[in-house]
Amino acid sequence: MKFVLKSISKNSGRLGQLRIKQSKELQTPLLLQTTKGGSIPYLSAEVFDLVSQEHQQVLQLTLSTMDQMSESLAQWNRSLSDYVGYPGYNTLLLLRDPCETTPTGGNDRDVVPLFTRHGKESLTAARYMDMVANFAPDVYQGLCDADTNPESTKKRVQKSVDRTERFMELCYEQHSKLARLKDSTLLAPIVGGYSTFARTQSIKHARQQPAGSYGGYILEGFHTNGLAATELKAAQLLPIVEHCVQQLEEEQPRLMPGAYTPLLLLELIRLGVDVFDSSYAYCAATNYKALTFSYVRDKAEHAAFLDVTDEAIKEDFKPLLEDCSCLSCQKHTRAYIHHLYKTHELLGTILLMIHNLHHYMCFFEAIRASMAADQLPELIEHVRMQNTTAEVNYRIEPNNKVVGKAAMGKGFIAAAV
Amino acid sequence: MSSSKIPPLTYKVVAECSVSKARAGLMTLRHSEVRTPVFMPVGTQGTLKGVLPDQLIELDCQIVLGNTYHLGLRPGIETLKLAGGLHNFMGWPRAILTDSGGFQMVSLLQLAEIDERGVNFRSPFDNSECMLTPEHSMQIQNAIGADIMMQLDDVVKTTTTGPRVEEAMERTIRWVDRCIEAHARDDDQSLFPIVQGGLDVPLRERCVSALMERQVRGFAVGGLSGGESKHDFWRMVHVCTDRLPRGKPRYLMGVGFAADLVVCVALGIDMFDCVFPTRTARFGCALVDSGQINLKQQKYKHDMQPIDEACECSTCKRYTRSYLHHIAASETVSSSLLSVHNVAYQLRLMRSMREAIQRDEFPQFVRDFMARHFGRDPIPSWIREALAAVKIELPPDAAQEQTASS
Repeated sequence: MKFVLKSISKNSGRLGQLRIKQSKELQTPLLLQTTKGGSIPYLSAEVFDLVSQEHQQVLQLTLSTMDQMSESLAQWNRSLSDYVGYPGYNTLLLLRDPCETTPTGGNDRDVVPLFTRHGKESLTAARYMDMVANFAPDVYQGLCDADTNPESTKKRVQKSVDRTERFMELCYEQHSKLARLKDSTLLAPIVGGYSTFARTQSIKHARQQPAGSYGGYILEGFHTNGLAATELKAAQLLPIVEHCVQQLEEEQPRLMPGAYTPLLLLELIRLGVDVFDSSYAYCAATNYKALTFSYVRDKAEHAAFLDVTDEAIKEDFKPLLEDCSCLSCQKHTRAYIHHLYKTHELLGTILLMIHNLHHYMCFFEAIRASMAADQLPELIEHVRMQNTTAEVNYRIEPNNKVVGKAAMGKGFIAAAV
Repeated sequence: MSSSKIPPLTYKVVAECSVSKARAGLMTLRHSEVRTPVFMPVGTQGTLKGVLPDQLIELDCQIVLGNTYHLGLRPGIETLKLAGGLHNFMGWPRAILTDSGGFQMVSLLQLAEIDERGVNFRSPFDNSECMLTPEHSMQIQNAIGADIMMQLDDVVKTTTTGPRVEEAMERTIRWVDRCIEAHARDDDQSLFPIVQGGLDVPLRERCVSALMERQVRGFAVGGLSGGESKHDFWRMVHVCTDRLPRGKPRYLMGVGFAADLVVCVALGIDMFDCVFPTRTARFGCALVDSGQINLKQQKYKHDMQPIDEACECSTCKRYTRSYLHHIAASETVSSSLLSVHNVAYQLRLMRSMREAIQRDEFPQFVRDFMARHFGRDPIPSWIREALAAVKIELPPDAAQEQTASS
């Protein structure tokens, strides 16, 4: 993996180019496609092709949703991306699924808990590296204890740093030994919760490694994934990230997985974080919210979401978002997607996911364009206010509504009496 | 309007098998041309579960089925009317067929009762007593706007015997007249009557004759595929297709297993529907010529082949059985992937039958198919008998052959 910085601006973050293996050059800030079980959530590869004409994206795969495939992959002699139905794509393997809350606890001196659909597995560093070797991803993260959030105690934070150091000793060693990983790039994990002291220690450990030991950083331990990431406060998160970024090697890309809100994500980009994932788009879709925020400066007021569960759109035949060029908005209406929600039809979340991913990919293009024009602060302000009088709330409320029989159409009954 | 001059359904026989009753046809509807014999995937609530309309078009699907009962409840006819019909509502540009809603009521609602006025049922909405009459069924189906709609019929359990069967058949004929009378969009939608009469040959014959006196553009054969013996099943189909007019399409309701499709095409049926291919997909099963394979089974864990080497669907082009095995139980995308394959399988089977009929090689197609489908297992006697009735002889079973030669 090769990373080249194109420009750094005081207020507009940094633009770069990432080349993973034989891929074309990917522009940073980069959006990784989050996946579950190797597939983009709800979408088959055929459908994703309808969403994106860009055929060399990076899939963010997670061991917690793919652990059961490890043995099969050991027997697979083609690429990991071929196995999951995305030939030609690049793959980046993470431990935890940023789309779902990672349960806390289960950490120990020598093991990291891997929470899967089948229960919990305790991973030693050796076992972890063997599994990674089976997957043979293009890029993968080093094993770390990232079970920290804004509430973590000093003791927990310190343990996460100390244990991560120990895990990484073995990861670095195995990384250079395992034949199946000779073309893979390792990301050095930076942990340490919200403690500047602990973060500095974690960064020092990575920077002590001989040159070429790793090809980038992954910053974790700010949240425990899922909707928790959407609840983080800028005032809390930004200072600690800024503290980290200042000490990281400039020439290495920095990844922060998780469903950060669009606003927080922009602030992180301004600080110099380079790579993110689409879990926010997923979290919105799975809670029946279509992303409608605007990333093109204009005069109209915009809302963060359209709530598809809202009765008010039952007979609204407009697209989810007017002027959107995605397949869902080109061919389907709010009323239809509302109906699919009410009838628990799979196509509802498929159409929402198509829209949200499309929206998020376009958002990233707009981000890069505004950075190139040195106008990131203006974009941040636009996303913050959306031309309204108060800061827009981008938090995702979980959808706990139950579709009752009372929601059934009365039209039938009207016809039949 | 010029469209009112062309009937909303025209059908012509394109080729006929010189041996059996099989035929290939072209049915032209307002929204699509449909090449028959055709399998219609079921999109109960205005969607084929987990599959985009664009994907169905990619599979060359020409017509889907919607369920009047479900659509009447949700989104309801007021919403459908405002949307300008189901085609607009679901974003499906091609043809749609709707059932009458009666069958679903009788099968889903415990309290449904039938009398001369219609089907009495308790509303799942507020438990109040309601009535679905032939007129109401037409009203709802007119709002849905499907290319082909079904009359409300008096549905009895397939295994019912005695005077109730005759009563249901007679009532179905009386109700078709009420449906024809109430049908308000005959310029856009074609109403099919339904042949009833249980497992009783004279009743079936009387029903066909009576329905043929009505001005209709096609016929459905109902009241089968509900637990009756296969020996009764094929005979009833055979009796009906013997008498139904050559120049109109014939739809056999609720049939969709591969072997049944092949036999019934041989008996002269043109249209089929069944939830089976998409339902079984949700349970992790994929259709293949030998039947279906359950991808959840351990034996597929390291199987690096596609479901079917010969299949051209997007699932078989990209995914291995091994990968599908691993996601079958955990990721919802697996049901989309298997639904696409299973619908592709059904459509490909129909397409190969159509092509075989056009080449007049249908009997050989049937023999090859049965050999692939049953492999070393004996071919069920009802299939042998049904095919023999239309002069398609199958070779003796491998097992019998062995005993004969020894």
